[in-house]
Amino acid sequence: MSKKHYIITAVTLGLIAATSAGLIGVANLITKDKIAKNEYNKTMSGISAIFEGAEIEKEYAVEDFKYANYVYELSEDTMGYDRYIFKTTGSNSYGKISLLVGIKEALANDANIQTFVFTNLYVITNEQSFATTLVDNYIDPLNNGERDIDDVSCSATYGAKLIRDMVNDAKEAAKALFTEEK
Amino acid sequence: MAREKGYTKKNFLKGIIAENPLFVSILGTCPALATTKTVEAAIGMGLLFTIVLVCSSILVSLLRKLITDEIRTPAYIVIIATFVTLVKMFTNAFLPELYSTLGVFISLIVVNCIVLGRAEAYASKNNVFDSLIDALGMGVGYTLAIISMAFFRELLGTGAFTFGKIFTFIPTVKLQIIPKGYEIMMFQNPAGAFIVFAIILAVIAFIKNRKAELKANLEKQEKIRKAQEAKAAAAAAQAQTANGGDK
Repeated sequence: MSKKHYIITAVTLGLIAATSAGLIGVANLITKDKIAKNEYNKTMSGISAIFEGAEIEKEYAVEDFKYANYVYELSEDTMGYDRYIFKTTGSNSYGKISLLVGIKEALANDANIQTFVFTNLYVITNEQSFATTLVDNYIDPLNNGERDIDDVSCSATYGAKLIRDMVNDAKEAAKALFTEEK
Repeated sequence: MAREKGYTKKNFLKGIIAENPLFVSILGTCPALATTKTVEAAIGMGLLFTIVLVCSSILVSLLRKLITDEIRTPAYIVIIATFVTLVKMFTNAFLPELYSTLGVFISLIVVNCIVLGRAEAYASKNNVFDSLIDALGMGVGYTLAIISMAFFRELLGTGAFTFGKIFTFIPTVKLQIIPKGYEIMMFQNPAGAFIVFAIILAVIAFIKNRKAELKANLEKQEKIRKAQEAKAAAAAAQAQTANGGDK
């Protein structure tokens, strides 16, 4: 084959790739604000779903944790306990998942030891290939108090294990960030 | 080049009936099984799939003389992946409920055999208009096929049809068809998807076989009729010859 043929082939492929990149760039410019707004609205709905009536007092990004990447410090509940929402993102070979994890301060019995307990979950994005199975068999029963978090056998076991680890990571993050002398 | 009369109509309809990608070619079964829990989700999936198929077929057809054989597959994949990415971004921005319902299956349109198959088998060899019609026919055929699966799965699995949960711009409507407590939950699970798919394929195979049988019977009857006619004609000719001899 001639040199010209190779050049034409390379230029054609290059042009297709460049046009594709350009189109995706333009689409990103058009949609990014709307996507960010949708995600913000979903996060706010999630916070209300986990802790009804709670107000955000402080919010900031956190580092050094495997899954937890953002925290919302909420107003105290009627008993005076602190409430937090952790935004966590994780992925496995079945896809990505992003959750809001509700964590509440509690005091262990017989001692003034501060602990942090998991309350509820809210799904922001679920790109797992067994997405609905995971929601129907693990997340919903977990939120309704019908399933233990460590009981991961749910026909979407790897997804459930990932969620369990994300919740545990959020609890660890709460412990590291908010433990104080009582 | 002279075109067969009614070619465009035939080209469009073949994707819906004779060459239906799902029920005849058995292609694109993964999203068909996974996204047919509700009619609304199936409509959404079919719509996004058709957009990607039509856009990529048009572009492949437009560039068919520029794309050389060596870069055919990578070029088609880049084109299809670009349209899937665009569709994904716009769905996430403007139809977030559909985006979260279909999840990873929007991205998986890239590896759907129908899209690459039509680019390779049709769009790369035909003009833009014919490729557009072919893609549209295949897209509509696939959409109707997954809607028919979702119809049975939603009806039998939930006993009702719900609209407005995914396409939030329409008011929420729930049509309860089967009384509560009589629905068969299995049809909402993967096993139910396989059963519905198998039943539809069996019905199609039955109709096809019946049609072929009827055609064969008709042909046989026609052959017998012709043979009888020929026999009668020969007998008449023989009688005429005999009569002529008598005279």
